[in-house]
Amino acid sequence: MKLVVDWPRCEGHGLCEEAAPQLLHLDDEGELLLDVEDIGESDLKAAQAAVRVCPVAALRLEQQ
Amino acid sequence: MTSTPKQIVIVGGGIAGVTAASTLRDSGFDGELTIVGAEPHRAYSRPALSKAALLDLADLNSHVLPDPGHGARELLGIGAVQLDVDAREVVLTNNETLKYDGLVIANGSHARRLGARGPGSHLSDSASVHAADSAELTLRTLEDAAQLRQRIAAQPSVVVIGGGPLGMEIASGCVAAGCAVTLVTRRLPQSALLGAHLADYLTQRAAEAGVRLLRATEISLLDLGTSARVTLSNVNAGTGPGTGAGTTIDGTRHSSDSTLTLDTELVITAIGDEPSTGWLESSGLAIDPTLGLRTDRKGRIHPNIVAAGDVAAFPHADGHRRLPLWTSAIEQAKVAAQTLLLEDEAPDLELQPYFWTEQWGISIKACGELPVAGSPEVLQGDLSEHSALLRWGDAEAGTATAVSVGMRMPIPRLRAHTRAVTSPSLAAAAS
Repeated sequence: MKLVVDWPRCEGHGLCEEAAPQLLHLDDEGELLLDVEDIGESDLKAAQAAVRVCPVAALRLEQQ
Repeated sequence: MTSTPKQIVIVGGGIAGVTAASTLRDSGFDGELTIVGAEPHRAYSRPALSKAALLDLADLNSHVLPDPGHGARELLGIGAVQLDVDAREVVLTNNETLKYDGLVIANGSHARRLGARGPGSHLSDSASVHAADSAELTLRTLEDAAQLRQRIAAQPSVVVIGGGPLGMEIASGCVAAGCAVTLVTRRLPQSALLGAHLADYLTQRAAEAGVRLLRATEISLLDLGTSARVTLSNVNAGTGPGTGAGTTIDGTRHSSDSTLTLDTELVITAIGDEPSTGWLESSGLAIDPTLGLRTDRKGRIHPNIVAAGDVAAFPHADGHRRLPLWTSAIEQAKVAAQTLLLEDEAPDLELQPYFWTEQWGISIKACGELPVAGSPEVLQGDLSEHSALLRWGDAEAGTATAVSVGMRMPIPRLRAHTRAVTSPSLAAAAS
C-alpha cells in the first residue's frame, strides 16, 4: 500500500503526524513530508489512522 | 459487561462512528460489527464543507474519506428509530432490529433552523432535507453543501443568520462567490467562541470584504419560498470595531430601538446545532436538550452503552460540555470504543481542544481552551500583518492557549507553544 497526499488540499494541520509520527511529519514551514511511503503490514494501522484523521481528506492509501 | 462482547452496533456513520469502529478492530475486537449511518455516504470531512468545499469547484464527494478498513457491515442511508436498553436492541428505519452486546451512539447533531420545516422534511432529524421551495438553507451535510453551492452560483442576495465561526465561514464563501452578503447576529461575531481580541480582528476582515454586519436582540424569519424576510428588532448596528452605537458599517443610521426588515433571496441559518437524540426519547436514557447524552469520563451512559461525537457531552469542570468539533469526535470515539472492551480499565478522555477556521482568506488555528480573554502575548509576527503566533494564559502552568494566524503551523508545534519551554526538546518542537 502507498500513502498518497493530495498536495493542494493539505493545510498543515498535522493531525496525521500525531496519529503516525513514524510515517510522516511536518517541517518548519508546516509542509508535510512522507518519511515512509510504502506501507507494510506493521505500519498499516498507523497509516489508516493518519488517513482517517485528516480533516480535509488529503490523505489516501492506495494499492501499489 | 462481564464478558467480551461479540456483537457491537455503532449508530452513526460519521467520523466518531468510523473512529470507534477502527479503534475496536485495532484493540482486538473480531466479533460482529455493524455501523448504521443515516447519511447515504461514508464519513467525510464535515469541516471542509464550509471552507475549501464551498470555494472550490471540485466534486464534493472527494471529501468522503476512503475505506477505513474496519470490516464492519455498513448500513448507510438508514437511521435508528428506537432503542430498547433492556432487550439490547436497536430498531432501524428499514424495520430491521439489531441486537447488541455493546452499543456506540454516535449519530451526531442537526442544524437548528429559524423557519418552519418545509413539506419535504423527513422524520429523521440527523439528515437534513431542504424543501426545494424554501429560502432558508442550513449547512451540515454534503447534500446541504451541494445545494448551497448551486444556489450561490446565481449570486443571490444573501442574509447569513448567526455570528459563530460557521456563519462567518459561510459568509466568506458567499462573498467569494460574488454575493451581496448581510450577516446578522446578536452580538460581536465569534466573541463567544474566540474572545474579543480575535473576534474584533475577524469582524474587521469581514467588513473590509464588504459584508454588511448588523446586530439585533431579536431576529425572526418569514420564509416565502423564493425569497425571505428577516426582521431584526432593537437593531444596534456597528458590530465592527471603531463603530459607535448608531451607525452601521455602510453608514446607514439606526436608533437603538429600531426594527429593520431585510428582504433577501437566500437566508443561510447558522445558529448552532442540536444533538440528534429524538430517536432515544422512549429509551429511558437521560437526555439533555443542549448537551445531548452526558457521559462519564470513559464515554459511558449506561451499562453496555457508550456515546461519542456531536451527540454527546463529556465531563468538564463542574458539569459536562458538548464540543462538536472534529478532533473532539475522534478522541471521544477512541475512548468510548476502548471502554466497551476494557470497561474500568479503559483510559479516561483527556482532550486538548483544537479548533481551526478559515475565513476572509485567513487561516486561524487554536490549541487549548477557548474563549481567550484580554490581550495576548505575541510570540511571533503581528496580527496587523495577518501573520502571527499568539498566546494567552499561563504557559508555565501548561494551561495556555496558542493561536496561529495566517501561518502554517502543525498541531504538535502549536501544542508545544502552549507550554513554557523547559527543555531542549521542547525548544526544538516549539521552533
